Amino acid sequence: MGPKVLIIDDEADVIKYLTVVLKSNGFLPYSINSVKDAKAVVEKINPDLICLDIMMPEETGISFYAKLKRDKNLRSIPVIIISGVVQAGEFDFRSYLSDNSIPPPEHFLEKPINVEEFIGIINKLIKSGNFPKSGGNS
Amino acid sequence: MKSNNRVNPPRRLADMIYEELFHQVPFNVAVIDRNYNVVEANKNFTEYFGNWKNKKCYAVYKKLKKPCKDCPSVEVFKKGKPIVADAVGVDQHGRKTHYVGHVFPLRIKEGGRVEYALEMTHTVTETDRWQQEYQILFDRVPCYITVIGEDYRIVRANEAFRNNFGEVLGQHCYKVYKRRTTKCPNCPAAKTFRDGRVHHSTQLGMGKRGQDINYAVSTTPLMRGSDNIAHVIEISNDITALKKLEHQVIEAERLGAVGQTVAGLAHSIKNILMGLEGGKYIVSLGLNKNDKEMISEGWEMLERNFEKTTSLVKDFLSFSKGRLPQLKMIKPGFLVKEIVDLYKDIAAQSGIELRSEIDKNVKSAPLDPDGIHTCLTNLVSNAIDACLMGKQKGTEVLIKVSEGRDKLIFEVSDNGSGIDYEIKKKIFTTFFTTKGGEGTGLGLLTTRKIVQEHGGKILVDSEKGSGARFRMEFPRKRLMALYKEMK
Repeated sequence: MGPKVLIIDDEADVIKYLTVVLKSNGFLPYSINSVKDAKAVVEKINPDLICLDIMMPEETGISFYAKLKRDKNLRSIPVIIISGVVQAGEFDFRSYLSDNSIPPPEHFLEKPINVEEFIGIINKLIKSGNFPKSGGNS
Repeated sequence: MKSNNRVNPPRRLADMIYEELFHQVPFNVAVIDRNYNVVEANKNFTEYFGNWKNKKCYAVYKKLKKPCKDCPSVEVFKKGKPIVADAVGVDQHGRKTHYVGHVFPLRIKEGGRVEYALEMTHTVTETDRWQQEYQILFDRVPCYITVIGEDYRIVRANEAFRNNFGEVLGQHCYKVYKRRTTKCPNCPAAKTFRDGRVHHSTQLGMGKRGQDINYAVSTTPLMRGSDNIAHVIEISNDITALKKLEHQVIEAERLGAVGQTVAGLAHSIKNILMGLEGGKYIVSLGLNKNDKEMISEGWEMLERNFEKTTSLVKDFLSFSKGRLPQLKMIKPGFLVKEIVDLYKDIAAQSGIELRSEIDKNVKSAPLDPDGIHTCLTNLVSNAIDACLMGKQKGTEVLIKVSEGRDKLIFEVSDNGSGIDYEIKKKIFTTFFTTKGGEGTGLGLLTTRKIVQEHGGKILVDSEKGSGARFRMEFPRKRLMALYKEMK
């Protein structure tokens, strides 16, 4: 069983696409289409990585990201933001959150993704392995 | 020698005239030598400054013991040219006196050095000084001033006005200001003649070289003791440069809107591309694995996203299609009520109160009912959407319609707050879609476009943690001008 990757995106097609990509590259994908119960899901499945969209109804990916990084049990899970809001090179995380204690996300990818680049980044982030699994003592 | 034949030569006529002139001329005349001694003075001078014989000029004019620092005669001795100077002195009764002096050089030999200074002074009263100062103020003040009679003829005009509009005394103001042959409609001077009050307006006039002059004019009554207003003063500020600047700002805003449109469009397209890429990936994976189910899944995904492209293009085309607003005289409050009726239940279901405040002073206005309906719908649904983000209790959306200074104002505000709200608000103001896969992000752009087609502008006012307020302002004059044009 490969590393667990959780996809959070409100677009069904994005979920489907990323699920197929991850599955065919040996990962174990999970998905949810809103941030509403995301924290409980993260706690339950304990993913090795999260792919997160920004613009979603009700709650944005950014605010969920902030919640995740404030939780000492979950903050070590690497996050890739995948969004079409701004260009990858121009993503200015600080302009969205005023809380300086929150580190910027591990990576930002612009939609549409390049599959090879996407898989490469996931492998690198998971292999860097300097993050203990959730539930452990950080 | 001829002269020896006469014992008492008669006074020459010329000498008599000069002497008489010297004493009768309405000036105080004195002659000063290079050592400040008064060597000659006329009767007027003696009467005014008192005894001058064997005295220094500074002692006579100013009762001083040493020469004045800015002595005009010293200047004349030095440069040999006449000058005019004003000074404050003391008359023979010890009263302070203002005077203006004309000082001329006197030479004994033509081309020789200046031996004497001829000083002709005349005293100036306080009233004279004030009058002079008022005249200077009137002419030099950096705005146009004219005084207009009841027949609308210009009776006075200051220098600034004459420089830009030409010599205009006695001409009709409407001809001078605007090259018209009849009185201007909404003439502020006419209003002042009627009610005796101050009126303001902005106008476009034509200068003497045919150049456009934008000016902001204020009219005020000129009454001399009686209740009758015989004249009106028009004071105008040239705002041509300001107007140009305003035009540049509008142009920059328009270009900014184009940039935002492109960014919003790019966001929608990126989402569709992601779906297309996904479909393509799944189809080719299905072909590799010979997995029919996977192929059909990918194909459906491709179809869905092609459809999304079509509807995006349609939306965009309808947005970009220029359309003149179909103006009808309607009550703005009516449009607001319509929106409240439409959204009240939807808002209530989400625990949001939708309220309206309609100012009683708001008069009917020429508006495109469908266009304004679209604008209000967009703003209200965005505000409700924003409130949903906040999740706190007691959120409300308020639609206001009021009358500003010569403009009709619609306002849609909400009191949502919270992190998500702030993030969305930030993105809102750059006109992105916030409604998942539904919207194309054109709602606010469309609103802005409709408002601009009405000659108005849309302003966003949002502070951290305090909700957002969208304000649509429609200058009444522009609405009326559009309405007339349409008719």
